[in-house]
Amino acid sequence: MTAVIETEGLGKRYRRLWALSECTLSVPAGHVVGLVGPNGAGKSTLLNIAAGLLAPTTGAIQVLGAPPPARPAELAKVGFLAQDAPVYAGLTVAEHLTLGARLNPGWDAEFARGRIDWLGLDPGQKAGQLSGGQRAQLALTLAIGKRPDLLILDEPVASLDPLARREFLEDLMEAIAERELSVVLSSHLMADLERVCDYLIVLVGSRVRVAGPVDELLATHHLLTGPRRDPATLPAGQQVISASHTDRQTTLLVRTSEPVLDPAWAVSEIGLEDMVLAYMRQATGGGRRRVPASQLEVGK
Amino acid sequence: MMWLTWRQFRPQAITALTALAALAILFGATGPHLASMYASSGVASCQGGACAARSGNFLLAVSGGYTVVFMLGIACVILAPAVIGVFWGAPLVAREFETGTFRLVWTQSSTRARWLAGKLAVAGAAAIAVTEGLSLLYGWWAAPIGQAARLAPGSNFPLGMSPFSLLAFDAHGIVPIGYAAFGFTLGVTAGVMIRRTVPAIAVTLVIFAAVQVAVPLAIRPNLFPAEHATQSLAANFSGQQQVGGRGTFSLTVDRLDSQPGAWIYSSRAVNAAGQPVSVMPAACVNPANGDSLPCLASHGIALAVTYQPTSRYWPIQWTETGIYLALAALLAGFCYWRVGRRLP
Repeated sequence: MTAVIETEGLGKRYRRLWALSECTLSVPAGHVVGLVGPNGAGKSTLLNIAAGLLAPTTGAIQVLGAPPPARPAELAKVGFLAQDAPVYAGLTVAEHLTLGARLNPGWDAEFARGRIDWLGLDPGQKAGQLSGGQRAQLALTLAIGKRPDLLILDEPVASLDPLARREFLEDLMEAIAERELSVVLSSHLMADLERVCDYLIVLVGSRVRVAGPVDELLATHHLLTGPRRDPATLPAGQQVISASHTDRQTTLLVRTSEPVLDPAWAVSEIGLEDMVLAYMRQATGGGRRRVPASQLEVGK
Repeated sequence: MMWLTWRQFRPQAITALTALAALAILFGATGPHLASMYASSGVASCQGGACAARSGNFLLAVSGGYTVVFMLGIACVILAPAVIGVFWGAPLVAREFETGTFRLVWTQSSTRARWLAGKLAVAGAAAIAVTEGLSLLYGWWAAPIGQAARLAPGSNFPLGMSPFSLLAFDAHGIVPIGYAAFGFTLGVTAGVMIRRTVPAIAVTLVIFAAVQVAVPLAIRPNLFPAEHATQSLAANFSGQQQVGGRGTFSLTVDRLDSQPGAWIYSSRAVNAAGQPVSVMPAACVNPANGDSLPCLASHGIALAVTYQPTSRYWPIQWTETGIYLALAALLAGFCYWRVGRRLP
C-alpha cells in the first residue's frame, strides 16, 4: 500500500500548546480517505502541514513521497481546500477561474468552466456575495482544476447547512469520479463522510484510534448483546471497544476478524457513525468503562 | 501571478490616481497664474537690495488662497508615504491572513516567495511613483514662492525660506522616493509580523512617525560636517536680538547674507577676536536712537554662524534617500524571507 501522506511522530506546538503531538499515520493512495475526530484532534493542523502551509515542530512527514510541497512542481500535485473555503471577496467567480489558470500550469479550464456552469454560478458575481455552499464549490473547483494527484479538503462542509452539505459531497464525488486522484477529507462528524469515503482514519488527541477500509471496518466490528458478563472473559481475538451494562444485560462493541461463535451473544452489525463514536468515547475516557491505554492503540 | 497582483491592487491604484488627478487639477488651475505673477513681479531679474522688496511684494500678493494651497501641497507630499504605508503596506499581507485567502493563494502552483515579490514590486513601484509624482507636481507649483521666500527676509512663507526648512526639505527633491519605499515596506513588514490589519496599521504609524521625526532632527544635520562663517552686523540684519539687564544681549540670525537659503544650525555674537560675547560694551547700552546694532558693529562685534551651505542640498538629499531605500530593502528582504518559510 503506497501512502500519499505518511507521518512519523509529527507534532506542532503553538507557544506552549500542542495542537498536534506524536502523530503517526499513513494515508493510502487511491482512496477517498475520511479523517474523523473531535474538534481539537489536530486534523486541521495535520492537513495544513501536509499542504505545505505550516511547519511542523517535531517529527517527519512525507506527502506524495516527498516533503510537503514548496516548489511549483510539488505545489501543482497537491490541491488544498482550506477550512471555511477562503476566496477573494472582491474578485468575481470568473476572475477566480482566471486566477486558477494563471497560477497553475496544469489548469483544466474546460473542467472549471463546465463545473461553474453546471453549478449555476454567475461568472460575473463577486465571490463575497456567494452563499457558503457556493463559495465552497468555487474553492473546490479551484482545487480540482489544477489537476492535483492529491486533494486535501479540510472540514469542507463544516460551515454548510445540511442540504448544502449533501449537495457538496455529491458534487465532490462526481467531480473526482473520473480522475486518478487520492482524496483526504476531514470532518468532526462521521455522518458527513459516511457517504463519500471508502477509507477511514479516526484521530483523537493526535492519535490514530482506528484506521482501515470502510468495508473492512464494518465487517470486523460487531455489536454483541447478551446476559451480563465480564468483558475480560471474551476470547483472545475479540477486542472490546466499548462496553455497557445494565443489571441483566451487557452490550459490547468488539473488533474481531473471526466470526463470533458464542451462542450467548446476539450479534448485530453496527453503523459507521456509532462505531466512530465508540472509538472517540473510548479515547476521551467518556465511556462507561475505562480502557487501559495499551488497548487504545488499535487499527493502523 | 502578476495578473492576480495587479487585479488585487487595482482598487488602490484607482484611488491613488483619482487623488493625484484631483491635486493635479488644483495645481494646474492655480499654477500658471502664480507663475505669471512671479514673472511680472520682477523677482527673477532683481539685483541686490531690490530683491527683498520685490520678493516681499510678490509674497504679499499671493498670500491668502495660495498660502492654503502651499501648505496643503506640503502636507500631501509629507503624508503620502504614511498613508501609503497604512493603506497599501499594512493590509498587503495582513488582509490575506485575516481573510484566510493566504491558504488559497499559497496552495496554487506558484511559490509564496514569488507571490510576495510580485506584490512588493507592483505596489512598491506604485508607492514610489505616486509620491514622487506628487512631489514633482507640487515642486513645480511652489517654485516661484520658494524663490521669492529665500530672498525676502521674514516672509509670510517661513517654510519657503530655505530648501532645508524642516517640512520643505521632506517634500521636495528625491527624498519622497525614500520615504515612500520605507513607509510601504514598513507597513508590509508590520502586516507580515502581526497578521492583522488594524494593529499593523497602528504599529506602522507609530514607527514611521518616530523615524520621520528622528531623522530630520538627529540624523540629517550630522550627515555632512557643518561650516562656519562670520557675518558682520549689516544694516539689513534679519534675526532676533534680545537685550537683558546690565547690558546682556544675544543675537541670532535666520539667514546667511552670502548664501540665501543656507541651512543655519546656530549663530551667536562674537567679538573681533572670535570669542563669544554676551555683554555689550558699555557705550552701546541705551544708544541714542534705540538701535544698538551699529554701535556693536563699530566695536567689532559680529555673528558667528554655523551652517550647511546650499551646495550640500543634493548630497544630503541623495544620502538621506539612500538611507531610506536601504532600510526599505532590508525590510523587503526580511518579508521575502519570512513569507517564503512555512508558517511557524
